[in-house]
Amino acid sequence: MTAMTKIDDRFDVRSWLREALFPHFLCPGCGHGIALRALVWAFHDAGIARDRLAIVSGIGCSGRIGAYIDTNTFHVTHGRPLAYATGLKLARPDLEVVVITGDGDCLAIGGNHLIHACRRNIDLTCVMLNNEIYGMTGGQVSPTTAEDRWTTTTPAGNIEPAFDACRLAEAAGAGLVGREMTLHLPALRDLLVEGLMHPGFSFIEVISDCTEIYGRKNDLGLPAEMMLCQTGSLRPDVYTSTVDQPFRPNRLRTGVLARSDRPGYLARISRVSDR
Amino acid sequence: MLVNRADSRPINVLVVGVGGQGVIMVSKVLAQLCLEQGYEVKQSEVHGMAKRGGSVFSHIRFGARVWSPTIPEGEADVLLAMEWAEGLRWLPSLEPERGIFIADTRRIVPPFAFRNRRRGADPAYITTRPDEVLDRVAGGYAIDATREAEALGNGRAANTVLLGALSTALGFPAEDWLAVISRFVPSKTIETNRQAFHRGRTVIEAGDLPDLSAPPAAPAAAAPVATATPATDRVTWRIEPSWCKGCNVCVTICPERCLALDQRKVAVLAAPDACTGCRLCEYLCPDLAITVSDGALSVAIEGAASPQPAAADPGSRR
Repeated sequence: MTAMTKIDDRFDVRSWLREALFPHFLCPGCGHGIALRALVWAFHDAGIARDRLAIVSGIGCSGRIGAYIDTNTFHVTHGRPLAYATGLKLARPDLEVVVITGDGDCLAIGGNHLIHACRRNIDLTCVMLNNEIYGMTGGQVSPTTAEDRWTTTTPAGNIEPAFDACRLAEAAGAGLVGREMTLHLPALRDLLVEGLMHPGFSFIEVISDCTEIYGRKNDLGLPAEMMLCQTGSLRPDVYTSTVDQPFRPNRLRTGVLARSDRPGYLARISRVSDR
Repeated sequence: MLVNRADSRPINVLVVGVGGQGVIMVSKVLAQLCLEQGYEVKQSEVHGMAKRGGSVFSHIRFGARVWSPTIPEGEADVLLAMEWAEGLRWLPSLEPERGIFIADTRRIVPPFAFRNRRRGADPAYITTRPDEVLDRVAGGYAIDATREAEALGNGRAANTVLLGALSTALGFPAEDWLAVISRFVPSKTIETNRQAFHRGRTVIEAGDLPDLSAPPAAPAAAAPVATATPATDRVTWRIEPSWCKGCNVCVTICPERCLALDQRKVAVLAAPDACTGCRLCEYLCPDLAITVSDGALSVAIEGAASPQPAAADPGSRR
């Protein structure tokens, strides 16, 4: 762990980016851009060398984040980044493998891969950018869409309850489970560093905003307003029901939510691979 | 200087300070002492914000008969201020003809005095010097009680130093004061408090008062960082206009309101003087277009001199 909330002038975000691909393709005000900064800042703070790092990302707005980072990146099939990352980690245990995925990618299409990666406690860091919608494919309902929200596949309002991915990951056995919002960038960076440092599977949910496909269509305000509302009222009830933080203005439970020191998958596979 | 206790009306002592200094302890000692001297005593206090370093005050009234627990404005015989600005705040309560003003000159600067967020800025703390105040009151002393207590080995005994100073104005025997004080302080600190009490008395009786023309002393740790130049001279704010998508997040989120969108819908530093270099816009720029760094002030908009294709058609930047 590095010191909290320090200002490191030596960190230059642009040295980590593939600048030829900029400006990025994300919509104006999209929270994923802030998550991108937090990620590369966390790599810098965790002291991970660029050639020791591999990023695996799936399909979706979140999946494109990986392509903007100047390191080893894999852009794989929809919902399967955890499966590819598992194989990569087993083949190259020396690499720090980070998975960037979205709420639809991770929870719906890749839901099975998520629970089994948690169960195996494989030594990966999974960063799930939760914007509550399938943004890139045209605004379909996702497992984390709040009830009554308009999407292209729920024109009369969403009738399904939203998913709390952190509780799912904890129940499935993830070593470290955390949640932070893009509004609190230094806290998000520190949480990502903690996830990168943790042996075993770390699952980090990043509360992000889809301003164009979700916010504008649901009248949730301008990008800055949506970001400021991350502290509470815009979020589904599942996020507000488990909270006991009297000194935080938000009702969203953030920070490290669960941690266990169960041995990781690599530690156990080394026991049988020698036989 | 002694309060005239021959009056038929009660003697009013107003003790003020900030949370954690021991205002309540001092008023308890005084109230108990007056009770034991055979007076009727009424004491009331407001200490709601005490734990946050907020304003605390306590009224103590004693005499043959006391009816109301609060001191009317302009009738405090003694104003005992444990913090400099609090003393000035309560100055109108002092009896203008005879009131005695006893104050610690030590400044405790509250967080809300740092309204100017620029690095090295002076806090908005009152600049009135002790000699200016003592010219306006009938009588009184301004001492650096915290320094006196620190010289005795415990800065927290400053309230007892002030009790010693207060004792010279009320005229009760010193032994009676010490007997009450030793019942109210932790047993380990009785000796320190006895020394502090005597130190407070000695300072007043011997006239060993500090030079009042100097501005009130601030604790070294809380002193603002001395900088020769304002922070704007060291902050560089830059934007990559071709990366900016005009989402307005930085303009909304800037605490100093110094950013704006130009006609191309690109963020610009409209008020460079107001920028404190807090970096919030850099952190929360979804397009990673803003860079804030220390250095000579140059609002350099990279590429602004050369014609931008994006400038002609803002839509093409997406």
